[in-house]
Amino acid sequence: MLKKHKSTEVSLIRRLLRNRSGTLGLLLVVAYALIAFLGAVGVTPYPTLEQHVRDRLKPPSAQYTLGTDLFGRDIASRLMEGAANSLRVALLSVTISAALGTLLGTFSGYIGGLFDTLLMRIMDVFFALPALLLALVIVSVFGSGVTTTVIAIATVYTPIFARVVRGPVLSVKELDFITAARCLGMSDARILFRHVLPNTLAPLIVQISLALSWSLLTEAGLSFLGLGTQPPNPSWGVMLSESRGIAEMAPWLMIFPALAIMFGVLGFNLLGDGLRDVLDPRLRGHKS
Amino acid sequence: MRKIMLICVVALFTLWVGTVAAQEASNVLIMARAADTTGLDPHTQTAFASFRLLELIYEPLVNLDENLNVIPALAESWEFSEDGMTLTLNLRQGVTFHNGAEFTAEDVVATFNRILDEATAAAARANYLNIASIDTPDDYTVVFNLSQPDVPLLAALATTNAAIVDSADIESGDVATIANGTGPFVLDNWTPEEVTTLSANPNWWGEGPNVDGIEIRIIPDETSILAALRAGTIDFALLNDPLVATLLIDDPNIILNRVPSISYNVLQLRAVVPPLDQLEVRQAISCAIDRQEVLDVASLGEGQVTGPLTMATFALPPNELFCYEKDLDRARDLMAQAGMEDGFTLNVIAANAEPPTALSEAQNIQAQLAEINITVEIEALELSVYVDRWLAGDFDAAIAQNGGRPDPYTMYARYWQSTGNLNNVAGYSDATLDDLMARGRSEIDPEARYEIFAEFQRYLAEQAPWVWLFVGYEYTAQQPYVMGFVPTPTDSLLSLAQVTLER
Amino acid sequence: MIRYLTQRIVAFIPTLLGVSILIFSTIRLVPGDAIVAMLGTEAGMLTDTQRQSLEVYFGLDKPPLEQYFIWLGGVLRGDLGLSVRHGQPVIDVILARFPVTLQLAIMAVSIALMIGLPIGVLAAVKHNSMIDLFGRLFALLGLGMPSFLVGTLIIYVLSVYFKILPNSGDYVSLIEDPSRNISQMIFPAITLGFAFSASVMRTTRSAVLEVLTQDYIRTARSKGLSEAIVIQRHALRNALIPVVTIVGVEIGYLLGGTVITEEIFALPGVGRLLFNAISQRDYALVQGIALFIAFNFVLINLIADFIYIAIDPRISYAQET
Repeated sequence: MLKKHKSTEVSLIRRLLRNRSGTLGLLLVVAYALIAFLGAVGVTPYPTLEQHVRDRLKPPSAQYTLGTDLFGRDIASRLMEGAANSLRVALLSVTISAALGTLLGTFSGYIGGLFDTLLMRIMDVFFALPALLLALVIVSVFGSGVTTTVIAIATVYTPIFARVVRGPVLSVKELDFITAARCLGMSDARILFRHVLPNTLAPLIVQISLALSWSLLTEAGLSFLGLGTQPPNPSWGVMLSESRGIAEMAPWLMIFPALAIMFGVLGFNLLGDGLRDVLDPRLRGHKS
Repeated sequence: MRKIMLICVVALFTLWVGTVAAQEASNVLIMARAADTTGLDPHTQTAFASFRLLELIYEPLVNLDENLNVIPALAESWEFSEDGMTLTLNLRQGVTFHNGAEFTAEDVVATFNRILDEATAAAARANYLNIASIDTPDDYTVVFNLSQPDVPLLAALATTNAAIVDSADIESGDVATIANGTGPFVLDNWTPEEVTTLSANPNWWGEGPNVDGIEIRIIPDETSILAALRAGTIDFALLNDPLVATLLIDDPNIILNRVPSISYNVLQLRAVVPPLDQLEVRQAISCAIDRQEVLDVASLGEGQVTGPLTMATFALPPNELFCYEKDLDRARDLMAQAGMEDGFTLNVIAANAEPPTALSEAQNIQAQLAEINITVEIEALELSVYVDRWLAGDFDAAIAQNGGRPDPYTMYARYWQSTGNLNNVAGYSDATLDDLMARGRSEIDPEARYEIFAEFQRYLAEQAPWVWLFVGYEYTAQQPYVMGFVPTPTDSLLSLAQVTLER
Repeated sequence: MIRYLTQRIVAFIPTLLGVSILIFSTIRLVPGDAIVAMLGTEAGMLTDTQRQSLEVYFGLDKPPLEQYFIWLGGVLRGDLGLSVRHGQPVIDVILARFPVTLQLAIMAVSIALMIGLPIGVLAAVKHNSMIDLFGRLFALLGLGMPSFLVGTLIIYVLSVYFKILPNSGDYVSLIEDPSRNISQMIFPAITLGFAFSASVMRTTRSAVLEVLTQDYIRTARSKGLSEAIVIQRHALRNALIPVVTIVGVEIGYLLGGTVITEEIFALPGVGRLLFNAISQRDYALVQGIALFIAFNFVLINLIADFIYIAIDPRISYAQET
């Protein structure tokens, strides 16, 4: 199995494409991104906010591919714009929390001592606060909307990233090769960037792909509680939670957003898996 | 793997045993609802959810029937003096509180002293301010001496907010923590947001109760209440969300009761905020909104378009009111007259899920007003935040569902009298409204009163400080074997005392 | 070791203090107060005098800083204050709900481990095989469905097709009636566990894959040990660290309550309690729950730390402090 990954010259994408789940994940994510792009620039079958009151709650048909909602708005169009809105929230919140969390986790774990204790205590405070409470308070204070949803999700996930990264850093820095590097007189910065960080990459990437899908789900959950993206703007979570009351009468209102979220989550995860296999320094065969 | 299988089998078995055990028949009515009472003090509660519990435990002097007529409760009969300055009530004899104490005129006096005491923070205090003093010629007669003629007072007594409590409890300061009423049911246990158990009061003066008790369960999610009805694990349920309730219309196994509510859904404009201070702009908004469309979209057509007054005895047919037919040309003309043909941005606040249709109403109104170039920005707020801003008058426009009262004066004095304590929230007052309200309070002749309030409705619709939209239904749902429940426009559960279970 | 332990426990205190300060200040940033939340739009009927008497009653009339120290003093004496909504000591209200949440968390995590661990190990050992792919797809289904959707579907199917709904707001405790209790808890636990099983599966797979490439595994293999023994004795034990991490995080998270699942299944847990307390601005209760949840969380982290040390001797506790 290891032999497959011997060659180092092939580009990342090529190697990714050789990986089954990576290929599937990449396909899904690219499709998602494309749909989101079309939705964001407004290339949709109908304007997303246009209400066709006479065509309310119509099942999928030639006119409305995926049916219409309570207001007679086209579901397909709203899903496309919803993709853009959901992706925006997911990307922004994960980027912020991953960057911040990795930074804090790495330094904390590597430097250790009082710094580590202090930083982890602060992270603990945020971590120990119930996520829901954080989200509710942030949304109540600043009003609901994309920005506050992003801040809420990022605040909740930053300590998770910090913790996830710190674990392997602690583990790695005790390994023989780090000790050896230190004995050879390598600078801390060099050790950190050349040896420690690459070793946290695998769990980090898994975590990022998970977090992206989590934030899709968290956004849906916040919408369920009425705290997510604001109407009339669509997001997958809003569409899904709006559909709950009448899904029995109009199942297409629930099915399509649910499928969209599932495929979105599936895409991020498979891609994460694939990337992990490809990026992992040991699986790649050249050990640091 | 074998362990997992074993666990699965055990789990399924216990599940089966559990559901079999749950289906024992008893004469206790199992009822579910999404929201719980906010407290036990009948005088300070304001939430609909609180009344639905406390009206089973406490009784006021008079009640309302399903047509909103005043009917006897703790008072058997009553009479206004010719000049309208005194109201004499003859009390029912032989009534006891749940703790065994006898109900007498002394309790009525103590109750109203408590309600009128500012420190109590009684919710309906403002309705009784004309009571100058109370006489008790004997133990079963109460005379309210009024400072000015106050015809709406009688109907205003018909609320749990004026329920009679034991004078001894008032003295000991226990009213807020114990529930000692005279009503058909006795409170056995209350676990907030979980379960409330009531047992039948065997000494109740009325007919019933026919069940041994009521168990009220809080199921916060109405879709889950629906599921529990279908699974047959509950007998009776209160529903709020029309989208959930309509699923039961065609269900052969569950009975859905619906009565037009007297609460109304309204787009409140604050006429003190420019450009809403221009009459033409408000009228344009009123003319541009197809109210039936809002009702159809937000509530699946569950309800009726309404003017300012919602009680059948006073409500005018909507087509007699200003611009109740959508008229875009007229709306555009009006906008042009106001110099607003290019439109403006209108910020509308709405509470999440309170009422459940609020955000849908807002979205449809947004789409409709776009036709006269008004850009509506919807601000969806958590309920407490919404209420906070609503009370402070910190909004331009609001989607609201406001409670109705059986009497138009009691219903609107707080909003449309310039001295009303919610006049700032209403955002509009003028001499005509003040005059109409004052006449409505003191006029004794019913026909003349009807005319006063007919004019009041036409005037309000034309001034368009608010755009009244529709009334929804009050929903209850029940198993077919629950017999004898009478739904009312106030959503009262009082007739649960007469209900029988014929499983 | 004992020194480490005391140090960790001492480190608790600033965390909890930080939580208390953060909670106390943020909850007061939220617009709306207990009185408005309690009375709704009808609070407009109150005169200023009425309002003040309510404020005195709820202890809201003092400056926030003073309120904080009064509260903190109470906490140190084991008194978390009185809940406005429940009219009971906060600690009693919380302790009445906590068993539900604890049981739900344990059941959900057990279900997740039962599904996630075997699939994860299998997927790693048979890396890139069909088992790997299908196992992962299955687990990802769980990950991809928002829990309110899974919950709603379960309830719909149960009530419409089987005409049963084990819990219709009549929750019974495990001690009162074990079989009823389990039947009421199993579906919410599946709802939560299904979602978490995906994380367990992925983390396990990832960790086992990582471990399998380590030198000592190669050594073990080259010693001629059978693959099963290599995996059982060496790989699994070391792969457990990240799994312990996420299980710790998840339990901590679940103990904070799961509002949505509790709402849908009408379970009286800590999550719903907190959600209601926030929307009713029941400050004492919100603070109490937050502190309680934080305490649990810190405790679980501590336990997780000890487990790391127990399974990976390379992490020395001397270094940690």
